[in-house]
Amino acid sequence: MLMKGKMETEVVDAELVLPSYLSFKKVQMYEKYPKGQARGRHWKHLKQIIQAENYQNYPPDEPNYVNIESPPSMHPCKKICDITGFEAPYHDPRTNLRYANTEVFKIIRSLPNEYVQRYLALRNAAIVLK
Amino acid sequence: MPFISKIQRQSDYTLFSSATPIVIDNGASYFRIGWAGETQPRVVFRSIVQRPRHKATGEIVTIVGDHDPALMKYFDCSRTGPRSAFDSNVVYQFEMMEYILDFGFDRLGATGSEIDHPVLITECVCNPIQSRSKMAELLFETYGVPSIAFGVDAAFSYKYNQQHGVCNKDGLALCPGFNTTHVIPFVDGEPIYKGCCRTNVGGFHVTDYLKQLLSLKYPYHMARFTWEKVDDLKMEHCYIAPDYASEARLFQKKSKEAKEKTRCWQLPWVPPPREEPPSEEEIARKAAIRERQGQRLREMAEAKRSSRINELENELHGLEFLLKQLEQVEDSDIPSFLAETGYVSRQEIESARIKVTQSLRKAKGEPKSEQAETEKADSGINEKYSLINIPDDMLSPEQLVEKKKQLLLKSMSDGRQRMKQKRYEEELERERKQQLEEEKRLENPELYLEQLRAKYKDLSEKVDQRKRLKTNGDHSNGNNLSGGIGRGERLSAAQRERMRLLTTAAFDRGKGEDTFGAKDEDWQLYKLMSKDNDDGDEGPDEDDTELARISSKLQDLDPTFVPKPETGSSQPAEASRVRPLTKEDFQIVLGVERFRCPEILFNPNRIAVDQAGLDEMAGVSIRRLSCKDEELEKRLTNSILVTGGSSIFPGMIERLEAGIRMIRPCGSPIKVVRALDPIMDAWRGAAAYATIPQFHTQTFSRMDYFEKGEDWLRSYQLKYSL
Repeated sequence: MLMKGKMETEVVDAELVLPSYLSFKKVQMYEKYPKGQARGRHWKHLKQIIQAENYQNYPPDEPNYVNIESPPSMHPCKKICDITGFEAPYHDPRTNLRYANTEVFKIIRSLPNEYVQRYLALRNAAIVLK
Repeated sequence: MPFISKIQRQSDYTLFSSATPIVIDNGASYFRIGWAGETQPRVVFRSIVQRPRHKATGEIVTIVGDHDPALMKYFDCSRTGPRSAFDSNVVYQFEMMEYILDFGFDRLGATGSEIDHPVLITECVCNPIQSRSKMAELLFETYGVPSIAFGVDAAFSYKYNQQHGVCNKDGLALCPGFNTTHVIPFVDGEPIYKGCCRTNVGGFHVTDYLKQLLSLKYPYHMARFTWEKVDDLKMEHCYIAPDYASEARLFQKKSKEAKEKTRCWQLPWVPPPREEPPSEEEIARKAAIRERQGQRLREMAEAKRSSRINELENELHGLEFLLKQLEQVEDSDIPSFLAETGYVSRQEIESARIKVTQSLRKAKGEPKSEQAETEKADSGINEKYSLINIPDDMLSPEQLVEKKKQLLLKSMSDGRQRMKQKRYEEELERERKQQLEEEKRLENPELYLEQLRAKYKDLSEKVDQRKRLKTNGDHSNGNNLSGGIGRGERLSAAQRERMRLLTTAAFDRGKGEDTFGAKDEDWQLYKLMSKDNDDGDEGPDEDDTELARISSKLQDLDPTFVPKPETGSSQPAEASRVRPLTKEDFQIVLGVERFRCPEILFNPNRIAVDQAGLDEMAGVSIRRLSCKDEELEKRLTNSILVTGGSSIFPGMIERLEAGIRMIRPCGSPIKVVRALDPIMDAWRGAAAYATIPQFHTQTFSRMDYFEKGEDWLRSYQLKYSL
């Protein structure tokens, strides 16, 4: 409450800032995560969570988060032009972009490399340097 | 914004008895909280947390949901963006979740020392046990909630619509959500999770795809495409094409329908202020100033020149006086006399005099009369080269040396003469050509202009081609926009040679004893390797000069002609910057994007998610159910409910029907319906569920949680039909 005094009246009026003390909580935020203390990461990524679940120890016909995922599509994957979204019969071996016609080809050949990579990144085909 | 946040603080919290459950739809995009039995959630906000620094106090504060953007100016949000508690649709960051719950309960008007109401909260299908138990822990320990029930949002939505007669007790719920898409089969009004399937694509991906596409299409306006704005564009304009390929073909052919389907978003644009041409007075004033400055410079130059002439004349007088005096001095006294003057001999004085006279003449601006010189040369030619025509054997050794010298001098002066002659002839030739051209022009101006243009085009292409060849793969300037290197472009011959030299030099070092530098030629290598070698090897050649000539001529004759900007330093991007921006440049055109983006729900392959699309998922779900009961399968496909935020796209129902018809056996009944309110129904269903008297049988308390343990929580499942 003290710090609110220093804030602009509009901000206080809108009650924009979450108060640090809430009466209905048994443990306050500042008690859980004390200020100025290095606390590292206290959460797990989804991947780690899934790993910790040890789904392999459970019967495979029991539904769980992993095995309810959809299988790969059975439909043939239609190639579409990366720039225009039209059907793309062609593929540029230099940039790896798919393109619909000569006009688009002209465009992709004049694209800077950065943009080529960003277009490729849309379908996760960009070169990633690690 | 189509989804409106409701964040007014409620004042009637205390009026509800502690038996009334609080119902929370904990969606990845929106958080909705309200009371059981009501038809609308009390508080709705976007499920995001920001932790910016308050500028005035330097305090790091927590802001949940969306607020008046005008108030955000008091905060420095540059360090951190908005954060979510969700990964896919699983809650994994419980600190964020706690902020969100804090805000939700606070705005619901919660007072007292704890939340003394049962809580019904939604989670995703088959939520990992860790996420579920952490959520339970948080609600029990931090908020003091007496009991909790977990349910699935899509199931609540299906049940709600079933109660309203939209779908049957056997059926499928398709739920394209924010991060994921689910299909849940229902048999006898209960969800069968065994037949569930999930694809990790949702509304988030659609918006993100649109955002990426637009910022690639309009890099100039990249900053305009904020997440919120693009989300609005998606809501307003995107639709699902009945058949993607044919719809795209419409646009490719630029048909009339496509034009009608194209939407345009005009960004605020103010015409740039037109520059007023300077007034007459201004021009006159400027000219006067320039004139004055020129005058001053001229005067200064004049003064300098006259002072120099003066100086030189004085020196000349001095020298002449000295010479005169020298004549009167006796021979024996000459050395002592000269010692005083600083000159060594009479000759030296004379040569100084000649030098001074020459520079005086130059200073006065008298033309060196060339003719006189040539004449002089002619007359003197015989004495100058007196020895040339005499055979060698008639000369003494000194004379032979002299003869050699004369020969050299003569050949040099002859060469000069020839050059002069050649230049003169060239001049004549050029004049003749120009005259010829002028005649041609007068004869038929149009044809002439046409030819000139054609020639210009030809030449400029040729020059361009060569330049490209030369600069290709040139990485001397790091930000080469044509991006030659790494894209397989070839190097020019000179560059290839350079690379060869560099590599061979590098390898030579390694083997045997190093003899580099023993021979002088070795050092030539560095000269060959240096980069300056690459360009400027030919200099401006004929084509370039010819191009310049034609372009200047065209500029004179053709008012519409605009010479191409010099390639090289000025790339096309720069050229377009010169052009004043028009209203059209501030238009964001949404054509194919309108249906290209939501298409990823049906073809997740488009964004490299290798999973079945929405229509296929229905088939997968039925297959997974493996009920071997054709009648049940028919019942299932006869009651397909679409719910969730991404089901609002126009065309969704038709497309789904067509898609599912394709994968089902011929003649099976297919009925696809949209939920009454795809966004709110999950909360409404949950709120209705929490009022059922047997609701308390489905909840568990803190004691249950600790007594029964994690395994029990894992298998915990709500019964939806009580």
